[in-house]
Amino acid sequence: MTKNPDHRDLFPGALEMMILHSLRLKPMHGYALVKHIKQVSEDLLQIEEGSLYPALQRMLKEGWLDSKEGISAKGRPTRIYRLTNAGRRHLEQEISSFEKMFAGITRVLAVPKA
Amino acid sequence: MFGFRQFFSRRRRYTDLSVSIQEHLEEKIEELMEEGMSREQAASTARRAFGNATLFEEHSREVWQLPLLEHIFADLRFAWRQAIKLPRFTFAAIATLAIGIAAQSTIYSVVHAVLIDPYPYRGAMRMVHLHLYDKDPVPDDLGLTGPQFAEFQKSPVLDGAIAEDMYSRALTGEDLPEQVQAFRISPNAFEYLGVPALLGREFGRSDNTHVAVLSYHFWKSHYDGRRDIVGRTLEMDHEVFTIVGVLPQRFAWTGADLYTPLAYSADPHRVANVFARLKPGVSDPAAEQAIEPLLDAFARQTPGNFPQKFKVHLVHINELAIGRFRGALIILFISVSFLLALACVNVAILLLARGEARQTEIALRKALGAGRLRVIGQLLTESLVLSRVGGGCGVMLALGGIWLVRHFILPTLFPAEAEIALNVPVLLFSIGVSVATGVISGLWPALRVSRIDARQAADAGSHKLAGRKGTRNGHMALLAGQAAITVLLLASSGATVQRLSRLMHADLGYDPHHLLSVSLAVREGAHHAWSDRIAYYEQIRTAIEADPDVLSAAIAEGNLPPTNVGSTSLSIPGMNTTGREVQFQRVSPEYLATLRIPLLHGRVWSAPEIAHAAHLALINQAMQRRYWPHGDPIGQTIVLNHGVAAGNVWTLVAPGNDQHFLIIGVVGDTPNQSLQEQVAPAVYVPYTGIIYDWFNLLLRTRGAATAGLLHRIKERVHAIDAGQAVGDIVTAEDLLEEDLGRDRFIASLFTAFAFLALTFAVSGLYCIQSFLVTQRTRELGVRIALGARREHIIGLVTRTSVLAVLMGTGIGLALDVALSKIFSHWTSGNSRDPEMLAVVVALLLIAAALASIVPARLAASIEPMEALRAE
Repeated sequence: MTKNPDHRDLFPGALEMMILHSLRLKPMHGYALVKHIKQVSEDLLQIEEGSLYPALQRMLKEGWLDSKEGISAKGRPTRIYRLTNAGRRHLEQEISSFEKMFAGITRVLAVPKA
Repeated sequence: MFGFRQFFSRRRRYTDLSVSIQEHLEEKIEELMEEGMSREQAASTARRAFGNATLFEEHSREVWQLPLLEHIFADLRFAWRQAIKLPRFTFAAIATLAIGIAAQSTIYSVVHAVLIDPYPYRGAMRMVHLHLYDKDPVPDDLGLTGPQFAEFQKSPVLDGAIAEDMYSRALTGEDLPEQVQAFRISPNAFEYLGVPALLGREFGRSDNTHVAVLSYHFWKSHYDGRRDIVGRTLEMDHEVFTIVGVLPQRFAWTGADLYTPLAYSADPHRVANVFARLKPGVSDPAAEQAIEPLLDAFARQTPGNFPQKFKVHLVHINELAIGRFRGALIILFISVSFLLALACVNVAILLLARGEARQTEIALRKALGAGRLRVIGQLLTESLVLSRVGGGCGVMLALGGIWLVRHFILPTLFPAEAEIALNVPVLLFSIGVSVATGVISGLWPALRVSRIDARQAADAGSHKLAGRKGTRNGHMALLAGQAAITVLLLASSGATVQRLSRLMHADLGYDPHHLLSVSLAVREGAHHAWSDRIAYYEQIRTAIEADPDVLSAAIAEGNLPPTNVGSTSLSIPGMNTTGREVQFQRVSPEYLATLRIPLLHGRVWSAPEIAHAAHLALINQAMQRRYWPHGDPIGQTIVLNHGVAAGNVWTLVAPGNDQHFLIIGVVGDTPNQSLQEQVAPAVYVPYTGIIYDWFNLLLRTRGAATAGLLHRIKERVHAIDAGQAVGDIVTAEDLLEEDLGRDRFIASLFTAFAFLALTFAVSGLYCIQSFLVTQRTRELGVRIALGARREHIIGLVTRTSVLAVLMGTGIGLALDVALSKIFSHWTSGNSRDPEMLAVVVALLLIAAALASIVPARLAASIEPMEALRAE
């Protein structure tokens, strides 16, 4: 698969962070989650939709999410993912460390050229 | 609220995952269709946006797995299925590995036990005998008096010394006295040797002289290994000793039955043999130099106990025990290393051949998305399974091999202390080598294929057209190497077997059937007058000859042939005989008749001549050939410098004894330095000239030696002197067998190695041939379809292998000839005998031809249509 040079890979943990944040709003099933992220990011992020699933399984295993059987928007059986308390705490940690990193990068880039 | 369950079974997780992904795709497709796409368009767009669904699902599942473990289990299952599917391949690989490992470990264990670490004693490798040399080629052991020993011990180059007085004594207090080797050792000896007692304790400086420590074998044979023996008493020559301990099995210092404390006195006539241990880091020449002035001073104090103008020479205890056998063991070890190399080559051939055959399978796995590491992991698992099983079987075979060595090798071949046990580091080493071979050859195809990309992989089948040249050259090199090693081992086997058979069928010059000897030692201090002792010996001889089962009995100083009876320096008036030696045996006149050695010229001593120790000698043919090849030796005078002139407490000398002897007869040759050596010139003189406190009684019996006969001999001796013990029976055939033991051992091992090597080479050849034919099936089919004749096809598939085997044979022969000098030096066999080499080459070529026939016939019978369809 060729890559669009305008888009760059996400840094490790970014997808998890976005999923956790999205699920904080409300529990969702997989496709809804993808659509939500794409809509909110206005398609600026290039995500292979399938890459969501290994990430979801990792987070389920970590205990940040849990899942239950549910019905999709089209009325078919699917699995709905929900944030746990551990997930919420993890998200807060991640956001604060991400903000620190982002602030750091911004400051370095803000130094005027000589 | 959600009623989430904390724990899902893994299967449930997988179902959830599939449902989620399925719904994801469905929903996307429906949305795209709502936007106006056709179902096909929508499905393909949705899949493209999703990415590789199978891969993502696989990755998602892996989150719940212990990936490494699951892969290993899967690989193990697959390896097992592969092994079952190819039973011949599996058996060949495992058997080859196991035999290679077992042979190497067994032989090394023997080498280790016998050469590298034979003794349990502390600092054993620094323990020496002190040999004193003068003109006489047979050295004297150092003998010192008590005060001299005390001074000697203080030498700065020594890490301790012990004194020992070896003596045969009679165990009394039972119905018939039994002869035991009761050695008196200085009280510091056990501390010096540093081996703790098995039962009870050893004696030390604070003990009185009436305590005894038993050797393990005597404890087992005489006391049935009873543990309550400690604290009991035994009686030797009617003296009572308290048993204080039993020594462990490996303690066999100078082979005594029991040890008692040596009470050193200042009497200059009472000397004991002295053994010493060098300090670490002191070289032999340095020690010899340091000790010599000390010994010179002792020699001035007690000149009678030292040879004249002697030099001291240190001999390490292992050299004495092993001698020339060392070379043979080293050669065996090198050969068995070759065998292991051969086994490794064979495993490499097997695995490489199979790897080549599996190129398509591996390429296919790659094309289907298997990672490089995953493919390597799988092949690694397969190789490891084979190697491990091979290694496991190797351990069992090695244990079996050790058992065989321990039960079927004459104990006299090795030092009595040597304990042959499986050497674990070497076992691990040989397993390591073969596992590494297995792993490398098993991985080779994976490493090669994993570099190929998917497009090439799809074409992998096309290799079947021509066969890859690089691989083929590699195989041919391995094949040639195998042939070369096999030729070397077959030639070694041939040489040793030839030699053994020559020794076994040699003309002995005497009749060893129903011939035996027993040794008798006079009680210390008894019969100490010369004429009294002769009368006593003769009385015993005639009493035993009177037994109806004994045809004749003779007295001799040395034992039966082929025992080396020792030599003495010789001079013949009117001839230049500087440095000449001659074998020297003191006998009674019945000696020739008892052994059935023919008298060729002249006469034997008369009874009065023996009784007066007349200076008359018989010589053997070898002596006549050397000194009087054309003349008549009878009536000539020879001068023998046969040591003791004055006699001492143990050795009695006839009145008027001197060194001049008149030759009165010539007798047939008998082996007198062992069967391996040429018969040396020998002289026989009356035993009465110099008479020791022990002698051998040589008996020609009516039937085989039995316990009953020994008992009757003991009774007859008992009737003469109730305290006189008799040693065990030694038969002439035992002595011959013992003498041949080493040759038999070497020949049988070489032969076993050679046939294993041949088996390996043949199976390697068979594998390569079959593999080549399978690989080229399509090409051969095409050739046959185009009209190639069967002979041509057979030639085509066998040509390179034939060339490789011939080349290997040539290399092997060249190496064999080049190495034959070393080989004959160490094993005394001739490895370049042309007839033997012709047999070896013929054997190898016939075996190679047989191994090629099946695959070649298979190639010639390929049906073109089937071959082209086969894929």
